[in-house]
Amino acid sequence: MKPSRRTFLKTGLKATGVTVALPWLESMSLANAATPPPSRMVNVCATLGLYADSWFPATTGADYEASEYLSLIDRHRNRYTLFSGLAHANQSGRQAHNSEITWLTSAEHPGLDGFQNTISLDQAAADHVGYVTRFPSIVLGTVSPQSQSYTTSGVMVPAETSPSSLFAKLFLQGDAATVAREKQRLADGGSILDRLRLDVQALRGEVGAADGKKLDAYFEAVRTAERELVEVQAWLDRPKPSVDADTPADVDDPADLIGRVERMLDLIPLILATDSSRVVSLMIQDHGVVPKVAGVNGEHHGLSHHGQDEAKIGQLKLVETEIVKRFGILLDRLDQRPDGGPSLLDSTTVLFGSNLGNANSHSATKLPILVAGGPFAHGGHIAHEGTEDAPLSNLFLTLLRAFGVPTDTFGHSTHALTWA
Amino acid sequence: MDPGRSPLTRAGVGLLLAVGTGGAAAFESDVRPLLESSCLACHSNLILSSLDLSTTGFDLSDAATFRTWERVFDRVERGEMPPAPMPSPDPAVAAPALAALKQALTEANLAVRGPQRTPLRRLTQLEYQYTISDLLKIDPDIAGGIAGSLPAEADTGGFDTVAAKQGISALHVRGYLDAADAALDAALDIGPRPKTETFKVEYAKSGYLNFMHDADFLGSGITKQLGDGVATFFDTASTYMFHTDTEGYAVPQAGRYRVSVAAYPYQATTPVTLTIFKGTEGVAAAAALSDLIGVFDLVGPESRTVEVTTYLEPGNVVSPSVADLEVPPGPYVNYFAPDKNVRDYKGEGIAMQWLAVEGPLHDAWPPQATQDLLGDLIADDGGAIDLRLTKEPYEHVLDIVAAFAPKAFRRPLAPGEAEVYARLAQPLLAEGRPFMDALRVPLRAVLSAPSFLFHGTTRDHDEPEQLDDFAVATRLSYFLWRSQPDAQLLQVAASGELRDPDVLAAQVERLLDDPRSERFVKDFAGQAFRLYELHATTPDAGLYPEYDERLGQAMAAETELFLGELIDENLSVGHLVDADFTFVNRRLAEHYRIDGIAGQHMRRIDLPTGSVRGGLLAQAAIHKLTANGTTSSPVPRGNFVLANLLGQPAPPPPPNVAGLEPDTRGTTTIREQLQAHRENPVCATCHTVIDPPGLAMESFDPIGGFRTSYRASGDSVVVNGDTFPGPYKEGLPVDPSGVTPEGFQFGGFAEYQRFLLERKLDLVARHVVSELLVLATGAEVGFADRPDRDAIVAAAAAENYPLRTMIHEVAKSDLFRRP
Repeated sequence: MKPSRRTFLKTGLKATGVTVALPWLESMSLANAATPPPSRMVNVCATLGLYADSWFPATTGADYEASEYLSLIDRHRNRYTLFSGLAHANQSGRQAHNSEITWLTSAEHPGLDGFQNTISLDQAAADHVGYVTRFPSIVLGTVSPQSQSYTTSGVMVPAETSPSSLFAKLFLQGDAATVAREKQRLADGGSILDRLRLDVQALRGEVGAADGKKLDAYFEAVRTAERELVEVQAWLDRPKPSVDADTPADVDDPADLIGRVERMLDLIPLILATDSSRVVSLMIQDHGVVPKVAGVNGEHHGLSHHGQDEAKIGQLKLVETEIVKRFGILLDRLDQRPDGGPSLLDSTTVLFGSNLGNANSHSATKLPILVAGGPFAHGGHIAHEGTEDAPLSNLFLTLLRAFGVPTDTFGHSTHALTWA
Repeated sequence: MDPGRSPLTRAGVGLLLAVGTGGAAAFESDVRPLLESSCLACHSNLILSSLDLSTTGFDLSDAATFRTWERVFDRVERGEMPPAPMPSPDPAVAAPALAALKQALTEANLAVRGPQRTPLRRLTQLEYQYTISDLLKIDPDIAGGIAGSLPAEADTGGFDTVAAKQGISALHVRGYLDAADAALDAALDIGPRPKTETFKVEYAKSGYLNFMHDADFLGSGITKQLGDGVATFFDTASTYMFHTDTEGYAVPQAGRYRVSVAAYPYQATTPVTLTIFKGTEGVAAAAALSDLIGVFDLVGPESRTVEVTTYLEPGNVVSPSVADLEVPPGPYVNYFAPDKNVRDYKGEGIAMQWLAVEGPLHDAWPPQATQDLLGDLIADDGGAIDLRLTKEPYEHVLDIVAAFAPKAFRRPLAPGEAEVYARLAQPLLAEGRPFMDALRVPLRAVLSAPSFLFHGTTRDHDEPEQLDDFAVATRLSYFLWRSQPDAQLLQVAASGELRDPDVLAAQVERLLDDPRSERFVKDFAGQAFRLYELHATTPDAGLYPEYDERLGQAMAAETELFLGELIDENLSVGHLVDADFTFVNRRLAEHYRIDGIAGQHMRRIDLPTGSVRGGLLAQAAIHKLTANGTTSSPVPRGNFVLANLLGQPAPPPPPNVAGLEPDTRGTTTIREQLQAHRENPVCATCHTVIDPPGLAMESFDPIGGFRTSYRASGDSVVVNGDTFPGPYKEGLPVDPSGVTPEGFQFGGFAEYQRFLLERKLDLVARHVVSELLVLATGAEVGFADRPDRDAIVAAAAAENYPLRTMIHEVAKSDLFRRP
């Protein structure tokens, strides 16, 4: 990626929620037809579920009748495919909500004795592209650093929760002194790692097999970190893209669930359009609050355990309606076509759904799953009739391949899921 | 089916015993007869059981297969299988089968593990926090913030200290570099002493309040000018009347602050409760002041000044508020806003007089670690701090590293080891960068080094089957302090006396008596009894309006103090099942309907005869963390008893089994829903074991209140166009009776407690010992470790399993010294 093109880039996207047409990277690159747009991936999970009766349409196929929630985004109907009957197998975990840590990975029995998580869909994609962008992936959370993104060794990648500090990392140059200090810090870190590698090698000869394995893993981690620091340093020398948007204000109030979701979703088109990263994941978390949504006075998690109480179901739907609407706005933004050219959505596969099929009973089968954009034929409702847990990994394999990862397996996949 | 595995079939296809000297022959001759006579009738199809032993291979090197046979062994040995009404197996068939299985499982466990029981342990996030706090004398909250930026420990279903399950990644390595940098930022500073400033507001003179007293806001005036203070009466409203944000103050820089409040009860005849919250500026709502940092009872009529010292971050605001006040009857929305101006209101209130915030506080300047590291090099010339180097800067760096690294590495340095790190400063010194910058690089390297981040498997030189004394000292301090050994413990290790049982016992006593052992109690309660999950859900405000953060904090404190008391007083672990004392403050005592407790401090009380409380299972924290905030179910509670108290967890449900659908409409009870469940034979096998303890705990609601009927959602009420959940209704009655798998019938919780005490106490003791061993040694208690573990349990049996004694037994056990 040439810096000149990055710095030239100006987007008209505003973090305030106003939709503005914009000239951006791909229309430029496609205009000179030299390089096809890169593949991108966005994953968004509503971890407290989406009320099934309002989400799933009663009918299937291309002519399915939009459900209550889907009618909120039905304007994009031909840009997405709805799936039902998908799930990861064996999601009963130690804690009832453990399925949220395996939504992007498919590892079984989360949190139960001997559990180790496996690599998540987004990190598999990020590992494939690496530092071709400033950030191999960007992981977002709405209230806490918990995320659904896991490395090969099952380590959770912490989520960014502050839109303003993320915006600064992405787009603000920083003054010369700060940059110099950061470079020095990275350089010092590099020489320390260099030293540590030697230490580990020396220690390696002295220990038994069990410790040897641990030290090998540490050695590998140090080497990877060293390589990453080199990449990070290199990016420090390249100017950040400038965007025509102000630093978004953080929403401090955790009760403003929708405000926090909105701020994070606002950043996604900016991240993709500036090619700051091609892989973005957002976890819409349990804020442990009464969400500030008109007509809602129950705590979100409590509402999800509605106990069939009509008043609670009503309030739950008010909250989820706002979430689905915000997702629709993300699709609006990604699908803008300045000058009639391609949209970001054409090259971005967006996964939206939940790790819970029925939050009232913590059931992790028959998950709400939707895939928008990317190189797929869309418009239908693909039902896996008669089953509640056809492997979601098969869909993930398809998404990973569409992203460009040459692989035949992901998680517990049996084969790639295809649909026409 | 994996072609590499040989299926065990009824047709008698050859069985392969992959591990073990007895080989397939022992399995054929000793185990098969038991399977044929007592197991395969049910366990050979998936109709009567989800376990099909006819297709379970016998390759014990496979973890899942191992677990299956381990479970077969356990359940047959305990007599749980075959279940009633099936006949018990002929002892002449069962005994050789169990013996053969035991040998095979032991050998397989040892073969898979290899010669070393515990691999290198990485500092957990928590251990890292405590270690840098102790090593660099960093404020625990600041250290917590630094450690909090490291990758979170993965949830692997057990203690996060289990080395075999600890991951390491580039994220960790980069995290450690950054964390070391941040720790040195906090610890190394020769700049001028930061100013400590005081912000004070006298509420009677507050311009904001003087405007608000008569303002029409959420109804009308909710505060009252008294001349020497401002009276307030309603807790949610109060919180955002008095916070520093409206007085134009937010914390300017991170650090430790002293928050003081002067107040007195107003129009109150009973004690009233003053609370102090912290929150974030710019959010003018009570929700943003969500962190409760202090609770005090005010007993009139005198003014009382209370203070809390706490860590605050830039932008934090603080506020005093009220709790526990009598409010007028009516729909509870009035709780937030009175109908009329409070000028003539006669109810209970608190008069807030002033609030002061002082900080950041510094006990020492330069920071203690700077003084320790630099020693004589620091010259404090009345404010400005100079460095007085007396030789080549590199020589100073070398001295400092040589003094610091042994503390960080918890052992003496090898010859030349200090130089290896100190030399990292040379390029910087050569470039002419400041001494302190150059010094930081080797120190940062020490804090990122494997010798700091990993602990303990150095073998003893003379007895390589044992850890050396420094590794034992480290294991001991990470066990009982969750942090590095102090100078005295390292000194004892160096002297070689740690292998003297009396010296070891004296150190165990010293460590347990030190306040740092509270970290162990907290972490043990957090992990072994899942107390870390206490606040995972917030109780439903409609069904449990009496829940608040004060109650939540008191619940956690009760469990921690109770566990600490068992250790301090060397009481039997039987107290986990039932006890005649507990810890409460007034808030928790009211929740427990115990009279006569004044004040918001936690204290030990003797429980009245016949009290339903007493023991872990009667503590609100356990009830809350096993419920979802809205409803409770006997299933997670039964699982808690099985897994966290008795150490016999039920297997996870077979695939495709949905959880029960909670229903709060008041037309069906969880017991009725479970009944249907238990009529399915596949479910019944486990649920006859899981459900009874949970059913006994049905007398406790999701926040630990005692109940005789379930609460059901009330009809909604509409106020000013908004729909609010109405007051809850009493629903169907609770039936806490049940039958244990042994056939013991209990009418309720107290009878079930007696059953546990009389029949299961040895299991409780065994489980506690296992958990102590896992935390202490960083390895699971494997099948092959059972004899060692059981010896520890047996050693404490005569005295009825006192907890402190069991900790001593763990520390002096062979397992504790084994690499």
